[in-house]
Amino acid sequence: MDSKKLTKDKFGGFVELLSKQKLYVPQMVGETLRFAPVSSKDEVDLVFSNTVVPPKSVLFPQTETLYEYEAGGTELIMPEEPEEKVLLGVRPCDARALTIVDKLFSWDIDDPYYVNKRENTTIIGLACQEPGINCFCTSLGGGPASTEGIDLLLTDLGEGYLLQPLTEKGEKLCQDAGELLVEAAGEDRQAAESLHQEAAEKIVRKIEVDTIPQKLEELWESPLWKNISDACLGCGACTFLCPTCHCFDIQDEMEGFEGRRCRVWDSCMFEEYTLHTSGHNPRPTRRERTRNRVNHKYSYFVKNFGTIACVGCGRCIDNCPVNIDILDILSQVVKEAI
Amino acid sequence: MVDLEKLKNVAKETVSREDVKYLVGWRQGTYGFRVSPHFMTKPEDADKLIFSPLCVNNLATYLTLAEKLPVPRGEEPDTRKVALMVKGCDSRAVVQQLIEKGIERDSVYVIGCPCQGVLDLEKVEEKFPGVQSPVDVQWGDDKFIINLPDGTQEVPREELLAQKCLNCRYPNPVISDVMLWEEVEAWGNGEYADVKELEAMDSQERWTFWQEKFASCIRCYACRNACPMCYCEDCVLDRLNPQWVFRSNNISENTVFHLARAFHLAGRCIECGECERVCPMGLPLMSLNRKLAKEVREKYAFEPGLDPESKPFQSSYRPDDQEDFIL
Repeated sequence: MDSKKLTKDKFGGFVELLSKQKLYVPQMVGETLRFAPVSSKDEVDLVFSNTVVPPKSVLFPQTETLYEYEAGGTELIMPEEPEEKVLLGVRPCDARALTIVDKLFSWDIDDPYYVNKRENTTIIGLACQEPGINCFCTSLGGGPASTEGIDLLLTDLGEGYLLQPLTEKGEKLCQDAGELLVEAAGEDRQAAESLHQEAAEKIVRKIEVDTIPQKLEELWESPLWKNISDACLGCGACTFLCPTCHCFDIQDEMEGFEGRRCRVWDSCMFEEYTLHTSGHNPRPTRRERTRNRVNHKYSYFVKNFGTIACVGCGRCIDNCPVNIDILDILSQVVKEAI
Repeated sequence: MVDLEKLKNVAKETVSREDVKYLVGWRQGTYGFRVSPHFMTKPEDADKLIFSPLCVNNLATYLTLAEKLPVPRGEEPDTRKVALMVKGCDSRAVVQQLIEKGIERDSVYVIGCPCQGVLDLEKVEEKFPGVQSPVDVQWGDDKFIINLPDGTQEVPREELLAQKCLNCRYPNPVISDVMLWEEVEAWGNGEYADVKELEAMDSQERWTFWQEKFASCIRCYACRNACPMCYCEDCVLDRLNPQWVFRSNNISENTVFHLARAFHLAGRCIECGECERVCPMGLPLMSLNRKLAKEVREKYAFEPGLDPESKPFQSSYRPDDQEDFIL
């Protein structure tokens, strides 16, 4: 299907159409921007850099009930089937990140909780025009208008949006939008193209990643890891806000006679993460934990799934309280003589 | 005034001492206005040291954060000192740790850096957005001198001063083994204007306010881990048996987490503001801590982190302590 155009006076109508399903858009929750359900069309404002919490939080929520039960009972109360969702305004890096998380949750067996939600969700991407200072998506095969993981890509042309349907879900949305849309003209497509180009040129941070997986294996015992992790506080800001981090813990929580089994985000930066019942911890210090975080993204995941589990969104850099900078680590890895 | 040459020389001498393990100071970060804690083990590392209005991190947290692994059989534990650079507020954390016997006096070598107030990262990044290359910032008379890639800017001090510094009464380290330069004059009066705003709300308004804040907490524990006074080896939040706080992220559990932390800090928080600074979700955590600090100061004329020989707040009972809140 060819590209369409949505003029901004029709945007309200488009949002209304999307609201027939459960619509999530970036919104201020407390003091930060994250994806949250829309309750009225007035809340939709697509002018933002990127959300602090990535959209993975909708498909892989921080706390998810797997089932509920009663003390002494034998019946499991399963959660309701997920409803159809639309995520509007997903940045291309975060959409790519979902394709990475997909690999994990459909690895040996499909994780029903994630996969069902994922299948029932339409991702409407929004091309970046003002990348952040720590963005480095172009080094990882992405870009400000990368299409991976996106069903329908929007580009803000000023007076309207260019809509590029990329999958059947995207095409269906365009069909449903019907008269709200017009056929995009050649100059609209050109305008979008040059906006994408301009945005890519604004990305200043770069890294050559080809040699990193191999290098990491060789640097296992390098003093680098101690030096990098000296300042680490061991908090979970980098991992919780990472769009590809997907580790979770499973907890049984009883309140009175009612219990639930739930999964919650976990972080390899926490001491508890690898702590054995015996008291032994195979990753006893922040050195091993930092080494694991980098290795998981740039080595283990590559071996298991053939792709680096980082999309260059820059959140871990932006949010580290002590300026531990993944690009700084990677450039040291690249430079390190073996 | 800041003397970088002296700072580097003292650092070189200090790490060369036989009784010093390593030194923790500050270095320029990898981008913009960020700095990073700098761990030095040899004199050459001193070249990277800085002391500027960007040095906001309270490094005292590293005294208790260092992991203590079991000493292999036949080896002696390393009992050498950790050398630490401190501003006035940071030094109070060292003193409070000494009061609580969290650390021993001869385990630390304190290098005092009298401070004229640090920058509020959020304010400066908002004023000068999109600055990628590392920026050098200096103190001027009543202003900050900011050397941006496209020229130098001077900004009045009040405009960019960190919240915790606006009302600072302890800009000079209250404990030190060596003081790097002359002390500065304190400017704050220690009033709690921000707390009074919250106190003016009725309880329903206040509950709504905090509910909204706690709901957005992601429980990354950056606040706890950055806090120099949160150094329990076995944190109540991590316990699994009994499990006092569920791992589920919801208003109820998040509220328990934040209130537990706040109460554990009553009479101990030295108001360095690190919890609030490191919070990726922008929670105003210092409002909780300052409310309790205010109560402790006004009701019991007690301030933590000033005299290493004093007793902790909870064990400093006096017969004339106020007790009108006891039913």
